[in-house]
Amino acid sequence: MKRTVEEINARIKSGDAVVLTAEEAIELVKKVGVEQATKEVDVVTTGTFGAMCSSGAFINFGHSEPPIKMGKVWLNDVPAYGGLAAVDAFIGATEPSTNGRADYGGAHVIEDLIAGRSVKLKATSQGTDCYPRRDIETFISLKTVNQAYLFNPRNAYQNYAAAVNSGEKTLFTYMGKLLPNLKNCTYSSAGQLSPLLKDPNLRTIGIGTRIFLGGAQGYVSWEGTQYKTNVPLRNGVPSASARSLAVIGDLRDMSTDYVRALEMHKYGFTLGLGIGIPIPVLDEDMMRTCALTDEQLFAPVVDYALQSRNRRPVQEVSYAELRSGTITVKGKKVRTSALSSYFKARQVAVELKRRVEEGEFMLSQFVQALPHEKATRPLDVRSKEEVL
Amino acid sequence: MGNSRFMLMFTPDLVNEPITYRMVKDFDLNINILRAEIDDNGGRLIINFEGSPQQIKQALKYLTDNKVQVKELVEYVRKDSERCTDCGMCVSICPVMAFQVDKVTWKVVFLNDKCIACGMCVDACPSAAMKLGQ
Repeated sequence: MKRTVEEINARIKSGDAVVLTAEEAIELVKKVGVEQATKEVDVVTTGTFGAMCSSGAFINFGHSEPPIKMGKVWLNDVPAYGGLAAVDAFIGATEPSTNGRADYGGAHVIEDLIAGRSVKLKATSQGTDCYPRRDIETFISLKTVNQAYLFNPRNAYQNYAAAVNSGEKTLFTYMGKLLPNLKNCTYSSAGQLSPLLKDPNLRTIGIGTRIFLGGAQGYVSWEGTQYKTNVPLRNGVPSASARSLAVIGDLRDMSTDYVRALEMHKYGFTLGLGIGIPIPVLDEDMMRTCALTDEQLFAPVVDYALQSRNRRPVQEVSYAELRSGTITVKGKKVRTSALSSYFKARQVAVELKRRVEEGEFMLSQFVQALPHEKATRPLDVRSKEEVL
Repeated sequence: MGNSRFMLMFTPDLVNEPITYRMVKDFDLNINILRAEIDDNGGRLIINFEGSPQQIKQALKYLTDNKVQVKELVEYVRKDSERCTDCGMCVSICPVMAFQVDKVTWKVVFLNDKCIACGMCVDACPSAAMKLGQ
């Protein structure tokens, strides 16, 4: 049994496409097997909602009278990068406020814009013959700017570590609050709902793939930063962080249901983002990976007490164990916490299913596959000659 | 017999007063200290009193006469359901398991009556949904 994206799109248009969420696909395969499920189902929708630090938005503010070539830019007192053309800027999710407000950063600016709130813009400039103005202070919103779109260099990680702390003091990390002496464990993948775990070799996801991004129709724009393929596999699926996606989508079509400012205490700000990808069931192999369960998907347990890039995993655990509430590490029962919301991951997958079923969201064929083999490189302190 | 929870706030001059001893000795209350943050600069005590309404009333009069600020705690930690994304970070942090994940809906349920107001979840919550106090 084989089918193409074109055939699936034709069935979506005629209202005949059978669309299941990844959870529903798991249940169907358990009942009727992969072969029969492949015959019955056209599309499997996936979803994830988690902290994605490498996120931010490009904004073009429009030109003032007299015009200004913005050098330094602040949005609600959070610095945005203005080293672009005159009125373009990039607001990064993790950027802290400069006005002493400890609970507000770039992610909050993005959430405020999506929520339809006004945001204070301040910019300064040296002034030029063509852009004489030296400074401006005004308010903007999504109604006033020309463009505002998320352009995230690394999202939707294919798997991630589960974090523990064997040390004697509490650690505040991007994996949340880690209690000493292995008192808790945090993990951050939607497991059996997570997009890149359901198409582990990215057979259907590449540059140009249409995705659900924060409630909008977005696109995969590139490989994500730190994309890598040389990782251990379990059941044919990476059992450590591997591939990732760079994504793009219009802020105006997003919703705060799926885009939220988050703060990891004593670490910093990050963006909680919902991403979903519809996977075309091209053949039985595609259905087999779509139906992989939390029992078959594994994450490495990593001890964050070791402050080194060379942390070796303590062990591997399945997402079923992580989701049960306790895992055993070094003979000790450790309580677990998810950092990514399974509730919201499911919400994304269900909403995406509805949009595909109702013909609002068509599947796409990518224009370029992402790398089949790639390793990451470390950063070392080297001389001018050594790097050549 | 009644059960009431209070936050007692001390100024530096009161830190040497044997307040909890008096609660037991003079007013015959059963006390349970839920959280204590007291040093040379004063501090606060979150405390549970068990006793008759009359005994609790007299104890509170003693405290206010001695310039201890008293605030009854009806709800220690509040969960802002709008901010909460149901991630579950709080679940493994809470020492008394006041958070549970509903395994059907995968929503995080806050069991108010179990909460001891320790505040562990407040800085652990990425979406700033947990607030300590009233």
